[in-house]
Formats: sequence, C-alpha cells, structure tokens
Amino acid sequence: MSDLFSLESVDRDGAIREAAHGAGAMDSAVDRRTAFRRGATVAAGAALTTGFFSTMLAPAEAAIVKGKKSKGNDAAILNYALTLEFLEAAFYAQANANIKFVDPNLAYFAQVTGAHEQAHVEALQSVLGSAAISSPQFNFGAAVTDEATFAATAVVLEDTGVAAYAGQGTNILQSAVLVAALSIHSVEARHAAWARLLVGGGAPQSLPLQRTNKAPAPWAYDQAMTEKQTLRAVTATNFIVG
Amino acid sequence: MSSDFTLDQIDVDGTVRTAAEDAGAATGRRDLLRRGALVGAGAVGATTLFGSFLSPAEAAIVKGKRSKGNDIAVLKYALTLEYLEAAFYLQAIRNITFTDPRLEFFAKVVGQHEKNHVDTLRTVLGRKKISAPVFDFGNAVRDEKTFAATAQVLEDTGVAAYAGQGGNLLDRTVIVAALSIHSVEARHAAWIRFLNGGFAPGSGDKSPAPAAFDVALTEAKVLSAVGATGFIKA
Repeated sequence: MSDLFSLESVDRDGAIREAAHGAGAMDSAVDRRTAFRRGATVAAGAALTTGFFSTMLAPAEAAIVKGKKSKGNDAAILNYALTLEFLEAAFYAQANANIKFVDPNLAYFAQVTGAHEQAHVEALQSVLGSAAISSPQFNFGAAVTDEATFAATAVVLEDTGVAAYAGQGTNILQSAVLVAALSIHSVEARHAAWARLLVGGGAPQSLPLQRTNKAPAPWAYDQAMTEKQTLRAVTATNFIVG
Repeated sequence: MSSDFTLDQIDVDGTVRTAAEDAGAATGRRDLLRRGALVGAGAVGATTLFGSFLSPAEAAIVKGKRSKGNDIAVLKYALTLEYLEAAFYLQAIRNITFTDPRLEFFAKVVGQHEKNHVDTLRTVLGRKKISAPVFDFGNAVRDEKTFAATAQVLEDTGVAAYAGQGGNLLDRTVIVAALSIHSVEARHAAWIRFLNGGFAPGSGDKSPAPAAFDVALTEAKVLSAVGATGFIKA
C-alpha cells in the first residue's frame, strides 16, 4: 500500500516541515514526554479544556485548525493520526505478547488488527518524514493482560478511531491526504465491527435498535469526534504515561 | 439524523438546478439505465458504461474539481447505490425464511440503515433527487446463501464507492455526511464477512478487515461493477 502514500503531492519537505519546526515539533523528546504526562494529569481533573488541549500534545501535534485548510494543518492532522495509531499498535502488540488467548477467534482478530495498526503507523511515519512525532510510552494495564478486558477495550479504541478520522474529513486540504485518511477510516470501522461481533454484538436483538446497543453497526450514521474530544477520551484512559 | 442534514449551505436551487437541467436529468433515465446494464454485462469499456449507465446529470461527477454542482452529482450517485442496497435488503427480508437468526438480524439492521441513508439523501437533494431504479435481484433475495455472498460484495463496493468520492467533495456538510455513512458501510461489510466465515483464524482475505488499507473505486468502476450484476432493470 505504499502507493497510497507515495504522496508526491504532499509537501512534506516544504511548508509542512516549516510549520512543524515553527510549532516546536522538533523540540527534544524530553519536553514532549513532560507535556504528555502533564496533559494526563490535567485531564484527570477534567478542568480547563483549552489548557488540556495545549498540554496534552506537543504544539505541532495540537495544531489542527478546524475549518481552515493548509498544508501545515495537514501535517498536524497526520501527527494526530499517528499518535492514535501508535497507541493502537502498541495496544495490540502488548496484548499479543502477554495474553494466552482462550478464544482463538479473538487471538486472530488481535493478530490481524495489530498488523494493520502497525502498517498505519509506518505509512504515516513515511508520509511525515522528519516531521513525524515519536511514540509516547504506554501502560495499558489489564487491557493487555486480561482477555476480556482486552476485548472490551479494543471495541472502545476502534470506535474512537473511527470517530477521530471522521472528525478530520473537513480539515484536510490535500486530496492525497484525504484519500489516505479514508482508506484507514473504513478499516478502523471494520476492526470496530469485528471486535463488537467477538464480544457478542451479533446476537439478535429486538428492533428498533437504540444508539447504545452493541451491534457491529449500532447506528445508521457514525459520529465524528473533534481532536479535543478524542484526546480527552484517550487521556481519561491513562494509557499514555510518558 | 435529519437535523444534521439541513443543508442550508448547499445551493440546491441555484447552481445545482442549472447544472442538472443543462445535463438533461429527467428524461430517458430508464432507457439509459437499461442500456447501461447491458453494456455492463459485456464488461465493455468503462468509459462507455460511465456515459450511458446513468443519465448525464447523474454521471456528472468531475474528479478533482470541487463545486456545488459536483456535490449534487456525487449525492445522486450515492443515492443510486443506497437505493440498490435498501431494495436488496427489503426484498431479502420479505422473501427469505432465514435459518440463521444472526443473518436475519444483520439483514434487518442493515436494511434499516440503508433505508435511512436513502431518506437522508433524498431530503438533502430535495427537488433534485432522482427516483429509484427498478431492480431484479433474482436468487440474491430468495436464497439465504446467495443473499449472504451478495451482501458482502455490495457492502465492500459501498465502502470503496464512498472512499472514491472523498477528494471530489466541496461542501463541509456533505463531507461530514459522506464520512458518517462511509464507516457504517464498512461496519456492515465486516459484519457480513464475519458471518460468512471470516471470523475463523486464517481466513485471510475473507476476514472482516482483509487489508490494512481499503481501496477506493471511481464512479466509473463502481457503475461498471453494478452494471455487471444485472440487478438494475430499468
């Protein structure tokens, strides 16, 4: 799939790199880690969403401007996507390393989906080049050691991924970036439906369905989430520790 | 959901109407559809099919050149696909006595979603909406196994069709709406793939998520694929 991401039309070396430098993306990893940790603490208090927004991620990562499209903004969106993909990839890698799955179908899901998330990470890193952020450190706790907790967490993470990509559709300038985002967006939705089926969502329920139901496709329209909403949800998990 | 789609920003009455009228929307659509289906069956030139399968207004999507008129063309194209999906599930639910209750549940839920998509797109398009073609799904809505296999193809195609229009849309509200449907089609696709055996370890390209990146299909390719099914009669 590297074809998708041989984004010659994406100006990753010009405007994007300048924007990233300008916003401080190339600052030391130490600063970034501190920012992550600080963001987690702030979010726990559920205070100051603006303050949270700016401290959760490094400046370049939190630089998505809604409704004003630019190449610099595209880079910010790609780094935001990369953060989420880092999280998902690490989640599955650790689960696969730690859990002795009782359900072989769940093990298969974890293996296939983990490979997909890793491919997403690598594709985004390739597109961003030197502007790519490095991976945060994660602590997933029981979500990567206990099979049932893993499955339930996978549903939440994949549903969140779907909503996060949907939320950026109107912020992306470059067609090549949008095409790439869409090609990942629907795969996250496939993962979400798959995970929902494995935790019993395919069992017949009485109709009409409510929005809160557990079906693989629980509603006719998927919701979108803004960057702020997504980061708040991610921070609340405390999965990001450094 | 209709509140999300009160598209004040979309100029359905100005630019759009002019474009549709210029393109000669209303007349001869059925003839063109029928002809398109025949051409599609022969798998002849995608360009020919593209030009004859739908009426000119419906085939007016311009790649890479965003405009309000183009948004309407894309919405009509989406409506055509949703008409097909909605009719497919409706007829299947009516005709098939399901032996697998999970498959029946899938058909009912997904059929309701596709009906919602149709209603929404018709509302958004207002007077510019097209009417539903006449369909003949044959065994695909009578035989349980054929239904399940066909549903998988239709849903996968739906995913690729929405993905293929991402770069052609101008209006923010249309983009939001399209994305909110795009991932639901992907959920449907994964669901039916799971029921068709994709849950099993080693299912590979039959799995609910067969690749790390889903492909996109252009309007021409989608219409060619749809034409080849012979499902559209008039």
